[in-house]
Amino acid sequence: MIQKVGIIGIGHAKFGKRTDTTLRELTYEAVTRALEDAEINVKDIDASVIGVASEEFAAQVSPAVLVHDYVGMRNKPVFRTEAACATGSAAIQAGWSLVKADLADIVLVVGAETMTHLGTSKTTEVIARAGDTRWEYPFGATFPSFYAMMAKAHMNAYGTTREQLSMVSVKNHMYGALNPYAHIQKTITLKEAMKSSMICYPLNLYDCCLISDGAASVVLANEEKAKKISDTPIWLKGLGAASDTMMISERETLTELRATRIAAEKAYRMTGIVAEEVDVAVVHDCFTIGEIMAYEDLGFCKKGEGGKFIEEKQSYIGGKTPVNTDGGLKSKGHPLGATGVSMTIEITKQLRGEAGKRQVNGAEIGLSHNVGQAGQYCFVHVYSR
Amino acid sequence: MKFGYVSCLPETQLITRFVEELKNGRLMGTRCEKCGTTYLPPRAHCKCGSADIEWYEAPRRGKISTYTSVGVPPESMSKYAPYIVAVVELEDKTRLLAQLTGVALNTLRVGMLVQVISRRLGADRIVYEFKPV
Repeated sequence: MIQKVGIIGIGHAKFGKRTDTTLRELTYEAVTRALEDAEINVKDIDASVIGVASEEFAAQVSPAVLVHDYVGMRNKPVFRTEAACATGSAAIQAGWSLVKADLADIVLVVGAETMTHLGTSKTTEVIARAGDTRWEYPFGATFPSFYAMMAKAHMNAYGTTREQLSMVSVKNHMYGALNPYAHIQKTITLKEAMKSSMICYPLNLYDCCLISDGAASVVLANEEKAKKISDTPIWLKGLGAASDTMMISERETLTELRATRIAAEKAYRMTGIVAEEVDVAVVHDCFTIGEIMAYEDLGFCKKGEGGKFIEEKQSYIGGKTPVNTDGGLKSKGHPLGATGVSMTIEITKQLRGEAGKRQVNGAEIGLSHNVGQAGQYCFVHVYSR
Repeated sequence: MKFGYVSCLPETQLITRFVEELKNGRLMGTRCEKCGTTYLPPRAHCKCGSADIEWYEAPRRGKISTYTSVGVPPESMSKYAPYIVAVVELEDKTRLLAQLTGVALNTLRVGMLVQVISRRLGADRIVYEFKPV
């Protein structure tokens, strides 16, 4: 029986406006680095799981096999996942399952998206169609609008402030400035964050993640191979997944993401690890309110106290639970399919002690939290050394 | 007649019936004859698996649960921006998402009383929307 599944290789492409590449070259960049990191050859891989969220962004129907073949995996099994913004974590979870089921010893997981070529207006249109196209899209509801309504509901229920939202952005830009793979590597001031242009009231430009191109790749292996190949395998021990209503209007509350709560509970239960034991976390900050709700829904603080959590700098390195030490979606960028895989890479780096200036000293337990759409999908993963 | 400011789906029997009623100022939901669950907007099937549904007239008054103003619209909605989108809890506790008109953003409050009205958009489109009472 397969005991554990380990992460033995990680490779990150530079996120950003990457019109110097298309999907194939961008994924090659990530995969080559993951194979080099694992010190293995593509021939050693048994199967791949490719996460690409949208054919429209890829400008390619059936993008997975394109990537699979381009990196030299011809004739081997290939699977594709789609879970909107959580596509990458769905790929990780599918890859883990292949190894755990003993269908493969070593699996290559790739997440990628090429978005910037469409421009902001068209990209907003494509993503808006991830909302219910019969009953919510026809009113001009956009993804920022869904999170804006959550922000308004949270502010109204718990007194969360406009300033606290901006504080999340300031933190994530600070860490993003230390991440060479981040889309935007610059710090911002609270004043700049507060007065940026309104996207969807009450969310402004600096509350919103970036539209980016990017790819990320990890190599997963069973315990035997992982120990043989790697000196520092990181174990993916707890996996939680959940979903929620397609229509936002059907949710009983918009001050939390129920799918996060369910997925987190499953991941914690699988490992016996509790929220207080998490040394470092990456959470889905597609909008700043998303990070504040994640603090609460993942159990880092009590419900309603997410605003206070950032205000007291509890999510900074040195605080109670350091969050988004890679800059988060806010600063690193959010190429949909790549995001979840990139999250796994940051936690792996942190647990290996390879995160450089943004290292959380002595981190032993990490968590990643990846949300698809406006909480329709959620994946929570717990990792340990 | 098509439903929505924009639409990308065919006009099924369900939406045609819904639109016909909306034209006459009636907001119609569906109720499962097996388990009694109600749906607004309507569905042709219940989440319990049943296809036995009946129509019912939903209340048209409620309170704002939350709202936003869309400043950066999708490409297809650019001529309407900025516009307010809200989720309203109706008197029977069902919740509905639509645009909200007839009120300035800075005077809006969560909990404000609104009504659901139908609105024609040109010759061939119709929506429901919220308006302060």
